[in-house]
Amino acid sequence: MKQALRRLYLGLIFVLMYAPIVTLIVLSFNKSKTRAKWGGFTMQWYRNLLENEQIMNAFYTTLIIALLSAIAATVIGTMACVAIQVMGRRSRRALMAIANIPMVNPEIVTAVSLMLVFIALRIGLGFRTILLSHITFNIPYVILSVMPKLRQTSRSTYEAALDLGASPLRAFFQVVFPDIVPGVLSGFLLSFTMSLDDFVITHFTKGPGIDTLSTKIYTEVRKGIKPEIYALSTLLFVTVLLLLILVNYSPEKKESHVKKTITRATRIRYMALRRVLPAFMALVVIAGGIYYGSQSSLTGGDSVIVYNWGEYMDPAVLELFEEETGIQVIYEEFETNEIMYPKIKTGAIAYDVVCPSDYMIQRMIEENLLAKIDFDKIPNIQNIGSTYLEKSTEFDPGNQYSVPYCWGTLGILYNKTKVDEPIDSWSVLWDERYADSILMQDSVRDAFAVALCSLGYSLNSTDLDELTAARDLLIQQKPLVQAYVVDQVRDKMIGNEAALGVIYSGEAIFTQRENPNLEYVIPKEGSNIWIDSWVIPKNAQHKENAEKFINFLCRPDIALMNFDYITYSTPNTAAQELIEDENIRSSTIAFPTDEMLENCTAYRFLGDEMDSVYNEFWNQVKSN
Amino acid sequence: MKRRRLLAGPYLFWSVSFIIIPLFLIVWYGLTSADGGFTLQNIAKITTPENLKALGLSLLLAFLCTVICLLLAYPLAMILSQSSLSQSSFIVLIFILPMWMNFLLRTLAWQTLLEKNGVINQVLALLHLPAIDIINTPYAIVLGMVYDFLPFMVLPIYNVLVKLDQDMVNAARDLGANSVQTFLKIILPQSVPGIISGITMVFVPAMTTFVISDLLGGGKVLLIGNVIEQTFKQGNNWNLGSGLSLVLMVFVIASMGIVNKYDKDETGGAF
Repeated sequence: MKQALRRLYLGLIFVLMYAPIVTLIVLSFNKSKTRAKWGGFTMQWYRNLLENEQIMNAFYTTLIIALLSAIAATVIGTMACVAIQVMGRRSRRALMAIANIPMVNPEIVTAVSLMLVFIALRIGLGFRTILLSHITFNIPYVILSVMPKLRQTSRSTYEAALDLGASPLRAFFQVVFPDIVPGVLSGFLLSFTMSLDDFVITHFTKGPGIDTLSTKIYTEVRKGIKPEIYALSTLLFVTVLLLLILVNYSPEKKESHVKKTITRATRIRYMALRRVLPAFMALVVIAGGIYYGSQSSLTGGDSVIVYNWGEYMDPAVLELFEEETGIQVIYEEFETNEIMYPKIKTGAIAYDVVCPSDYMIQRMIEENLLAKIDFDKIPNIQNIGSTYLEKSTEFDPGNQYSVPYCWGTLGILYNKTKVDEPIDSWSVLWDERYADSILMQDSVRDAFAVALCSLGYSLNSTDLDELTAARDLLIQQKPLVQAYVVDQVRDKMIGNEAALGVIYSGEAIFTQRENPNLEYVIPKEGSNIWIDSWVIPKNAQHKENAEKFINFLCRPDIALMNFDYITYSTPNTAAQELIEDENIRSSTIAFPTDEMLENCTAYRFLGDEMDSVYNEFWNQVKSN
Repeated sequence: MKRRRLLAGPYLFWSVSFIIIPLFLIVWYGLTSADGGFTLQNIAKITTPENLKALGLSLLLAFLCTVICLLLAYPLAMILSQSSLSQSSFIVLIFILPMWMNFLLRTLAWQTLLEKNGVINQVLALLHLPAIDIINTPYAIVLGMVYDFLPFMVLPIYNVLVKLDQDMVNAARDLGANSVQTFLKIILPQSVPGIISGITMVFVPAMTTFVISDLLGGGKVLLIGNVIEQTFKQGNNWNLGSGLSLVLMVFVIASMGIVNKYDKDETGGAF
């Protein structure tokens, strides 16, 4: 009975731990690119994965960093534990408190301060700095695992060993160490695992051209997680599982009572399974890492360092550019404007060409971070529609610093089966009939833009009365809102979770393809038009290459390749004419008419003080 | 003995360069305004109603999560430590292996499971059972936290229980203690160091998380971690963000101080 209860309990925990894992494995065979819909069985993602050098590269970097940092942290942490054990109460407390600091700090604080320290010490950001940071946040896990174990060890056996003539070192390794091995091992495993998972700290301490799996996954969040990532996770999982089963499959155990009769053959097989195979697999991993590492190492020569949004360019475009010009592209991705900004501001890395959004470009121009672009070197600028250059003057007066790359509008995506009236106004987001069926954007400016526009105010308002009114309107709306989300509006709308969602036009085209019942509209009160443009930072080392790169992206055939890949509207009118699919070419979602854009305004940077007001008001909405 | 202290050398060097110095940077940012002057305003910002509410809610949810983890983990660690299975591998199988799937992916998977039209509700509908509707509520956040942090509670407790001196347990039994008494007087007191480690490793990340509340709380539940993250990432206000982080740090350290008071076992474990 007792045994049965235990089994049941273990079983329940097992289900809890494995429910999401099974979900992810199932998703890796999902033909549809969104997690919200089952599109049929496919092995395609596994095939794509093996051909995707970027992901495989990131995968190996991740493994090697995890391995090295876990080993270093285990050694340093265990040594520290041994020392802490003999210290007085006070210094022990102090050291344990220090160990807790990295766990207590918000990750972004640790990350940014580590980056500042590395810059101050003139350690170039790259593989080394990631490794150093990972060791830093891994040590506490080792200490917390080893310390309890060490305190359980008995002093008398250690002293007995000393009395019997063992040196302290020998006594430690022969008497004490075997007792704390489980703690050391679990510390090692935890470290390894934490290192595999870390994103924020890695992002700030890595240099251009080096990626771990996490940084790849997080930058993909904006455009949706690639199914290849699910496939890779599944492969990793199954490999480790197999390895585990092999290591634990010991023929010895079953025959332990007849131990003497173990034949030579079994012993060899046992050795092969338990030692040789794991060692072999480790070797493969390391060799693979070195191979891929050498592939990606910067060969010096002529290069251009690109810093772009995640999933925001067709990889084939980069290859074409390298082929045609012989300039090597070092490509790095970011997740939000605000993550990109400190890296440019501190000059941590001299990027050659960056792709921020409108208001951020204005801020960077005002703070004198950008270089003027030499438009004589970019003849292809003629392909960019005049409407977009004109809209750009709102944040880049005189069009001196930026070249538009992608643009879109903010609007309402609605599900025709759940809404039976025509939607043309923001006011529908306050309609109680759609309670718990509304998705709002979880970003300050977008949420306030909705409220300000529906009140008839400017979405760049700095008037406190207007902002207070907008805040109250948002608070009033909160009970009706199902969730405040960013990228997940897409998946949730495809999965029929909600009737109405505030979304960017670029995502609308993709969602319609997956769920034909969805319709996008720019409300009549006006809305936001956003433009992501290429700029060149002041400290760029290869300004001419950067201009060649921008010029290349403005070529109609290249812009078309990127449009097909990203599905966000292109400002390249020559490329628009090349689009083969008539429905898309004339789609008013992708290419709204000038009339529809009349009421649309770009965000402007309103100054740090206004930013804090917006943020404070937004916090009041969220915590209400 | 003196020489043994030197073993802490590398750790100390490491802490000073990569923990203490960064910490000073945060203190410096937290106590200055954007133009560089000294100010306590960033710290005082914690007293606004919405920040206090977020802090209170974080404390509450982190506390709940820690208690649930402890209640789930202790029996689990006992079962595992007593069973004759090849335990270490089993532990790895249950707890470490799932962690090798990326944290963000696993949390997103819970979203797929819990949504209104999600996997769990579809299964429940097939069985004609009522749907559960906890996505975008604090309950879903606690579930996500428990799921993510449970291993950090089980591992240290298990590590301690495996090493437990069975002779003591047997002696207590021989002297007539029943199983409840044995547990309360012998097993529980000896496992305190493991419990403390576990509480630290669960409470602290639960207190500072923002990813879980964003993904499973639908952005409708504002925790202190979200406030800080937003101040840094959306507001770009490092001074305010650092000031609030300092307050959070004080709260976490204070909570840990309370927990450590119960850690009387200072003399134990002589090595």
